[in-house]
Amino acid sequence: MNTQLLISGIIFGLSLGGIFFLMSIGLSLCFGLMRIISLDQLLYYSVGAYLTYTIGLLVGDVWLGVIGGVVVAAIVSLLVERVVFRRIYERDLPFTMITSFGVLVGGVGVIKYFWGLIPRPVPVPIAAQVDIIGTDIPVYRLVIIGVAVLVYLGIWLFLNRTIIGKAIRAGTEDCEHVEGLGINVYRLFTITFIIAGGLSGLAGGLYAPLIMVDPQMGLEVLAFIFMVVIIGGLGSIKGTLISSLLVGQVVSLGSLIYAPLAQMAPFAVMLLILLVKPTGLFGSALQKR
Amino acid sequence: MNILRWWWGLLLAFALVAIGRAFLPLPFANEVLIFSIYTMGCNYLLGRVGFISFGQPAYLATGAYGAGFYLFYFGNNPYLGLLMGIAAGIVVSLIIGPLFVRLRGDYFALVNLALAVIIFYLMQKVLADITHGDNGLWYLTSLTSTPILDLTRPDQFFIFAFLVAFALWAFYKYLDDSIFGALCLATKINEDKVKFLGYSSFSIRLFAFVIANTTTALAGAMYAVYLGFVSPAITGPDRAADPVVVTILGGVGTLYGPLVGSVVYTGMKDVLSKIIGNWELVIGFLLVFIMLAGEKGIWGSLAPLLQKLFTRDGKAPDRGGSR
Repeated sequence: MNTQLLISGIIFGLSLGGIFFLMSIGLSLCFGLMRIISLDQLLYYSVGAYLTYTIGLLVGDVWLGVIGGVVVAAIVSLLVERVVFRRIYERDLPFTMITSFGVLVGGVGVIKYFWGLIPRPVPVPIAAQVDIIGTDIPVYRLVIIGVAVLVYLGIWLFLNRTIIGKAIRAGTEDCEHVEGLGINVYRLFTITFIIAGGLSGLAGGLYAPLIMVDPQMGLEVLAFIFMVVIIGGLGSIKGTLISSLLVGQVVSLGSLIYAPLAQMAPFAVMLLILLVKPTGLFGSALQKR
Repeated sequence: MNILRWWWGLLLAFALVAIGRAFLPLPFANEVLIFSIYTMGCNYLLGRVGFISFGQPAYLATGAYGAGFYLFYFGNNPYLGLLMGIAAGIVVSLIIGPLFVRLRGDYFALVNLALAVIIFYLMQKVLADITHGDNGLWYLTSLTSTPILDLTRPDQFFIFAFLVAFALWAFYKYLDDSIFGALCLATKINEDKVKFLGYSSFSIRLFAFVIANTTTALAGAMYAVYLGFVSPAITGPDRAADPVVVTILGGVGTLYGPLVGSVVYTGMKDVLSKIIGNWELVIGFLLVFIMLAGEKGIWGSLAPLLQKLFTRDGKAPDRGGSR
């Protein structure tokens, strides 16, 4: 295997890992604080991608589309939280999983209603390429990696340096104590849910130029998101970052060695990790409160 | 009389199916029967053992390919194909079961989905030489006609599927009333107490896992024989949640839930997709509505009403159609 192929493979894997991170961080945040499995994050991911397409087409600027996608995804997630999740925070995990899956499937139906079945292309906003050790790398992929790093740092700062973030972290440890301090936990839940939805929308918007946008896109990545979250351990943000980078590399480098491996290898890795450590790399044995 | 009461719900339900055969198009009736067998395994796992599995297509594909390989490469007898599918289901779930049943509920759902995806890509890409990739294996014309019930003819296949479904229903009803069924329910509710009573919760779960997934594999083998081909689409990730959705629609853990759910789901898919073109919308919101309204499902909400209607002063015969 030559160096050029290897370098482009690694960069490709890093950018894929960045996308995976943005997509699964919503699921992870929701599990970490609220103990719900929110599959509808994949709906916000599709919403983000579709708005990037529509606004990009109307205004002619994909970046504006990405921003619009994030905003609309956050608004949709707020609505869903108000209507559905408000009522089911106390229920057990499979219950939230099925309900959120219903939201996802219904949402896919709505998307089909508005945008139709045909896959839509989104232009890549930065066509330039940059030379890294003799290999041409698309700048857009580097931008994705940068955004993922920024988002991780932003979440870290938010959770560790702001008072709301500290309250959220305290809520992860012990909800009742936080309530006892006079903090409205349900408001924290709403804030977390909106952040998660917005980040999923961001992932959709950023990933849209690299793939075709179609109604089933959320269901297609479902398996990969599950895998990232499981390998990292549900609810751990550091674990999500590490496992998404790992999965990105396994997909990218695996496909260099033997093409069908790109789809299979991550699942094999996941099964192995689960057999050794049933709660994932950084997951704790947290149960439903 | 007691025996009659034990059975009347079952007989009534299947009498309705048999009558429905006269009014409904044959492919629809066959689809409903196979789908309800498919859902039955998921229903048992979810309702009795408390395992939610988003990966039932994995076991469906196991049965379908078990039958498909036999029918394409080795023989032509559809009955032997079915047996091969069942055998494949038993073997695979015996190998996988011990690894999976230890996992916590949420991880169990995800790992099963991963298995479905692995099998999908295995059949689509890695084993493409044997499985012919996306084209699938076609053997419809080479199936031999069998005496008594000719499975190659859809109308006789219906009778066969009807008998199989009926037998399985009786089996699951028997299981529900046996000690094993009670133990399954007990592990769902409180695993520690079951262990305290001296039972191994691991082997109870393993046994339930094998039974449920063999049922699913049988449904897969029936699809393979009925359709006359197998392709990887049967285990595609986009269909992963079908059985869970149908189970919830029908009513989790109820005996007739899978049948009611399959009728409604298949019907919606057929009718709505012709009228409005996106039935996901309806299915999705119906699912959310059912969950928010108390997760009893269609049958779960109907059963008490029917009981009031058919029994005097609203008292249910406890082994009647209520489960």
